[in-house]
Amino acid sequence: MNLPWSSYRFVALAALALLVLTANGCASGVHATSWTGLTVSDDLLYLADLTQVKTLNSADASVVWSFPADPRKDPRGVFYITPIVYEDRVFVASEVPPTGMFSRYKHVLWAVRREDGIPVWSFDVAAGPYVESGAPGGNLFVIGNSDGSVYALDVDSGTLRWSFSTGHRVWASPLIISDTVYIGSMDRNLYALNLRDGKERWRFHAGGAFAATPALWNDTLYIGAFDDRFYAIDMHTGKERWSFAGENWFWGNPVVHNGIVYAVDVNGNVYALDAASGAQKWKRALDVPVRAGPAISSDGSRLFLGGRDGVLYALDAADGITLWSQKGEGQILSTPVVSGNVVYALWLYGPHRLRAFHTDNGREIWAYPPVQEK
Amino acid sequence: MFDFLAYPMANIILLLYKLLGHSTIAAITALTILINLLILPLNLSQQKSVQKMQELQPELQRLQKKYGKDKEKLAQEQMRLYREAGINPMGGCLPLLIQMPIWFGLIGAIRYCIPSTPVEVFQFSQHIYKWLPGVVGLVPLQSTFLGMDLGQPPSPAQWWSYSLPLLVLVTTWLQQKLLTPPTVGDEQSQAAIMNRQMQIMMPLMFMFFTLQYSTGLSIYFIISSLIRIAQYYLIPASRNGGQAGAGGKR
Repeated sequence: MNLPWSSYRFVALAALALLVLTANGCASGVHATSWTGLTVSDDLLYLADLTQVKTLNSADASVVWSFPADPRKDPRGVFYITPIVYEDRVFVASEVPPTGMFSRYKHVLWAVRREDGIPVWSFDVAAGPYVESGAPGGNLFVIGNSDGSVYALDVDSGTLRWSFSTGHRVWASPLIISDTVYIGSMDRNLYALNLRDGKERWRFHAGGAFAATPALWNDTLYIGAFDDRFYAIDMHTGKERWSFAGENWFWGNPVVHNGIVYAVDVNGNVYALDAASGAQKWKRALDVPVRAGPAISSDGSRLFLGGRDGVLYALDAADGITLWSQKGEGQILSTPVVSGNVVYALWLYGPHRLRAFHTDNGREIWAYPPVQEK
Repeated sequence: MFDFLAYPMANIILLLYKLLGHSTIAAITALTILINLLILPLNLSQQKSVQKMQELQPELQRLQKKYGKDKEKLAQEQMRLYREAGINPMGGCLPLLIQMPIWFGLIGAIRYCIPSTPVEVFQFSQHIYKWLPGVVGLVPLQSTFLGMDLGQPPSPAQWWSYSLPLLVLVTTWLQQKLLTPPTVGDEQSQAAIMNRQMQIMMPLMFMFFTLQYSTGLSIYFIISSLIRIAQYYLIPASRNGGQAGAGGKR
């Protein structure tokens, strides 16, 4: 041991450098930092599938088109947010990795042609990632961004019509009703904005961040927050009608059916609440962290939701009892999508990223991507 | 990997944020002071160890000349010298090694408190100590400081955010200059050369580190360096190392 003390510090620094480089090296591949989304429209599935957006036939998951067609030759970044189909456009967003030490991620919103996925316009002004999808209203496409702004773009040209700054990241999809945009921000406010010019109509301040999209029923907005509370808010005035205490954050989007609002907190407690009074009808503890809200069958009899354990649960909407469940490899962090008698669920970090099941018995119809022979 | 440190540190940041008027900068600063207080005895002991090592340099060089060809004998004699002087030759790098997990824990804690990716914050939702008073609803913390996003690395869009890594460079260099003891004896000795390299390498390394991770981490490095500089002036024991061998060169 004939090295001076500074040699040991040198070795320690080298170890640190190695750790930093290793950490950065690990992050340089496609490592999902958000969940992916799916939309069903006219027997076609529009899937954000990390390096591509894909349109699949709902019958057999065969690919109709992909954007970009070949991500190795034409990389466009990583796609997460739920594609939104509107008229002849599909709206998607990607996160383009940096190309050098001083360059940073670019966050691009794309409008592609619905028929073939050819890009029509792109918008790369936003400084942060898009975490949830936008919503169309009139001739505008409205979307929130992690840079704290809400952007309204012309559907045809992608021209920015207005933007609205909140005090923190916007990780929620907007709800557009008539001429009003309702959108939550991590600054703990739910905003009502004029769709035409983005002017604020009212804001509702809670004790925690809003990351969900409100559900609407009888002039009342239903939404949970990171203060462990679930709120019913007058859609015209922004005044609270009632609130309900959960056990942890409410992150997923709630659903309302026949005067009952269904919400889930991140501890995996599913609540059925009376929409008028907030009284609890039933509570079901899944005992697994659940990020996304439930989907409901068209007749309102079943709820579908998944958790970090990779299990898709079908619950009886009347009492929360499990009707069937399906385990997959990975985590379910997105809300399942129901179309007719099929429920589609998305898995993150698993070999099959999308699977289709019969809503009545959970029998698997197909899995995507299919198992590849080695 | 360092979540066992990141979760408690994130919860401490939440509590400090609550107690310090919902200021993220104040919370990170307070945590930095707490961490530096915890490792102060270690730092002081490192300084003493460094001082003793420097004082032994002439003797080590003498041994090098005497037993240069007999490596085994040289090692034995050096170890004897260290033992007699009560020095652990690895002691010099111990504080640095101990701080590494703290840095990675802090990186994780900042990511959880000022999330930039939703998967991470969802993970943290299961690890908030709800029994701490007033922490419910605090995540995410206010992320903006002087127009910079503390949860993101410096970026060209916020060009002034590069000032923080530069401040890390300057304060670390100053800290190194003050706290690295002068080399006794031959300026061309291995120890002297290493010392000079370290004075350049350390600040550059830390700046590189802060360019890669959230801006909030720069605050930790800047405050830590300032604390150690203050320590140099306020605590005589920490200055001994720097003053040893007054005839030496830094």
